[in-house]
Amino acid sequence: VVIRSIFVLFLLSFCILASASGAENIAIRAGTVLTISGDSIENGIILIEDGKIKAIGQDVNIPEDARVIDASGKFAMPGLIDACSLLYVIEGELNESRSIAPELNILDAVDPFIDEYEEVLAQGVTSVYVAPGSRSLLGGRGAVLKLKGGKTPAEMLLKGDVAVKAAIGVSSNNQSSSLTRLEHYASIREAFIEAQAYMQQKRKYEQELAEYEKKKKEEEEKKKDEEKKDEGNKEKPKRPTKPKSNPTYEILIKVLAKEIPLQIEAHRVDDILNALRLADEFGTRLILDKCTEGYMAADEIARRKVPVIVSPVSVSHTDMPKLEYRNHNAQNAAILSKGGVKVALGVSGRDGASSKFAALAAAMAVANGMDRDTALRSITLTPAEILGVAHRIGSLEAGKDADIVILNGHPFDTSARVEMVLIEGKTVYGSELK
Amino acid sequence: MQFSSDSADRQFCRGRFSHANGALFGAISSAKHYNYISLRRPNLPILENIQNLAINQVRVREVKLKIFLIVILSVSFSCHQLRAADKQQDLAIRAGKIWTVTDGVIADGVIIIKDGKIDAVGKDPRIPGKARALDMQDKSVMPGLIDAHSHLGLSLDIFGEIDETVLPVTPDMRILDAFNPLCHDVKKALSSGVTTMLIAPGHRNPIAGQAAIVKLHGGDWLLKRSAGVKFSVGNEALMSDREPTSRSGLMSLIREELDNGKEYGRSEFDPRREVLKSVVEGKMPVYIYCNTLDEITAAREIIDEYNLKAVLVGVREGDEAVQAINCPVIYMPLLSLSRDKDLKRVSAIADVGIKLAFASFAPGTDPYDLRTSAIIAVKYGLDPEVALKSLTINAAEILGIHQRVGSIEKGKDADLVILSGDPLELTSGVEMVIINGEIVYQRGGQ
Repeated sequence: VVIRSIFVLFLLSFCILASASGAENIAIRAGTVLTISGDSIENGIILIEDGKIKAIGQDVNIPEDARVIDASGKFAMPGLIDACSLLYVIEGELNESRSIAPELNILDAVDPFIDEYEEVLAQGVTSVYVAPGSRSLLGGRGAVLKLKGGKTPAEMLLKGDVAVKAAIGVSSNNQSSSLTRLEHYASIREAFIEAQAYMQQKRKYEQELAEYEKKKKEEEEKKKDEEKKDEGNKEKPKRPTKPKSNPTYEILIKVLAKEIPLQIEAHRVDDILNALRLADEFGTRLILDKCTEGYMAADEIARRKVPVIVSPVSVSHTDMPKLEYRNHNAQNAAILSKGGVKVALGVSGRDGASSKFAALAAAMAVANGMDRDTALRSITLTPAEILGVAHRIGSLEAGKDADIVILNGHPFDTSARVEMVLIEGKTVYGSELK
Repeated sequence: MQFSSDSADRQFCRGRFSHANGALFGAISSAKHYNYISLRRPNLPILENIQNLAINQVRVREVKLKIFLIVILSVSFSCHQLRAADKQQDLAIRAGKIWTVTDGVIADGVIIIKDGKIDAVGKDPRIPGKARALDMQDKSVMPGLIDAHSHLGLSLDIFGEIDETVLPVTPDMRILDAFNPLCHDVKKALSSGVTTMLIAPGHRNPIAGQAAIVKLHGGDWLLKRSAGVKFSVGNEALMSDREPTSRSGLMSLIREELDNGKEYGRSEFDPRREVLKSVVEGKMPVYIYCNTLDEITAAREIIDEYNLKAVLVGVREGDEAVQAINCPVIYMPLLSLSRDKDLKRVSAIADVGIKLAFASFAPGTDPYDLRTSAIIAVKYGLDPEVALKSLTINAAEILGIHQRVGSIEKGKDADLVILSGDPLELTSGVEMVIINGEIVYQRGGQ
């Protein structure tokens, strides 16, 4: 009897394990699927396997063992991304006193136990981009986090080293003079010039080291024929001294090598133009951040194909008044995107919970002239592309993560409510739909 | 005595020096105020009278100068008004949806505007021959929005002061003296759809001064010169460098001042006590800024003790106090909040039958987001109809201006907002704004 009951228990636990392992297939039947990457699909089916989207379309075969989520009559769309968030971080802790500190990593400031994320999740936001503050000129590296809960930053991390955050002409305490602006620009430039020198030194060392090792090898080969007379080079090759490693420049040379983009927060149009000039001079990949007066230089930004994270759409999200926002224009995002600039929208709110307003920011951009589809893209696929995570999130396509939001209406409608949120195939908000 | 003329002078300075453009308006109102004070000074002791004579002579010259200014101004103003009347055409607006607020939504209706007032609203009213027709058949028309608490236009610079920094109690101070209707921010706000706003001193003084109600544009821009007295029992009113420095100190100061007002006879003139007298007599409403539960409770106690005609401003916390509030509420701008419990509170307040209005606290938030506040409140449970009324007629009733604005009705001021879609959809943009029958903003236009 004991053996039999143990056997039953074993079977039972096996069943539970199997169901909890997430290996199950899920099929979502949705009234309208907003794929973002392509046309929306009426009465579509999304098939999920192992947390990834396996297939999507109108005639997708639903496997017999798949759990079906019936969302007919409802909208399904990819999880929203807030490209300018304070979630999981505390604003006061985002600014180093040093002005050049790209070696800092935002991940070290992430507090996974902040519970605000549940409210944000309930509004359909599944990923956020968090970056260091704007007090430092080169403030550190930002990261994309998923709102799936977790006890360590690593569990939530989608991508680290997304960009090195820089700031030009951002005032502290609303005081700014032309001279400080020049100094900002000059200091960042100086840091990159020093990084270039560091890179050259490092390359030189690597070359010398290679040469040294080559010679050493030759020497050893010669030594094998020791019986031969000891003619030829008597001087032994000298091992080159390794230059001292510098964590600041180690990061900056990655920026110079285009491995990490440079994200420059600039508000005034002169600062924006300076940011473009800086990126040109050092050949870095550039992401313009905030870009408050970008609408004045839309052509210039479009011509260089520099992507922009416009935030906030409304100054009401920030603690006003702020000097930077003096010429804020709610039509900024619309003017830039119509001018051919790739625009992502960020909430740039007062605190972490503000990220819940991501859909609201996009809807407000529509009210101010942005195209409806472009606005929807600007809180999903466009930020994913800019932040280098488009292979994982941002649209509903086969192969991408199953980060899916189900709403009872179009996300821009006031009456629309988020009913369910999935991250990597797991229901993280809402209950099973009937 | 000395004190009161001091404060009058300071007020004068405010009007005169704090901003260039507003100086004209400031000078008019402070000149009037000044005359008023010097006229009401008959009971001065002789000695003091002689002392004051020299000063007064200098002042008389100033007053003369001001009268001269006023004459010039009024001449130019009437010229301007003549031109404005010329410009002001009768309008016939045909709209896809007319949100009257007080009488439902009229689909495919017409609004006739005559002499700056709404002359007729309906499916098919008679259109006067000379009226200019505006075709808005794919658009929505709603009454101009009312921002129930704003600090817009109070300084030339966005960092200007809206709070008196020396004296904690200045009920005689009128915010109108600092208001500049030509200020950049006011012009910019025309595109927000807000047509009327209550302008008030900030939150940092226990008894800060008198609020005013103004329109954002037009010849007839002043609705109420003195709309009530702004009180603050919020934390902001506690200072480290002057009294009050504690909450108890704050409450005792307010009580003392109200008691003073109560006992005020007219034997000697005191402008501060005079204002507070009309407050305790219930002739003048008070706007009490309070946020947390203890602040709301303290405000409620004072209201009951002195039987004040009160409106609460802020009310950011205090879910437990919702039942006890028992007076109209001007709620915080919702975009300055982010937690669900704060966003849901609006509907909780409305559910117990309290009349609500929205506010921008501009420049704290953008006046454009007055409507956004209402939409967020709806997203978090507020009834859409209540939200719409809170933006318009309910706000007008709370501020006592519902005879003139707040709905699309015959006889009311022609203050209208034309939107590309329904008022409570975020994607609806402001296409046109009309104040007193004059088109003051047009999207894509000037």
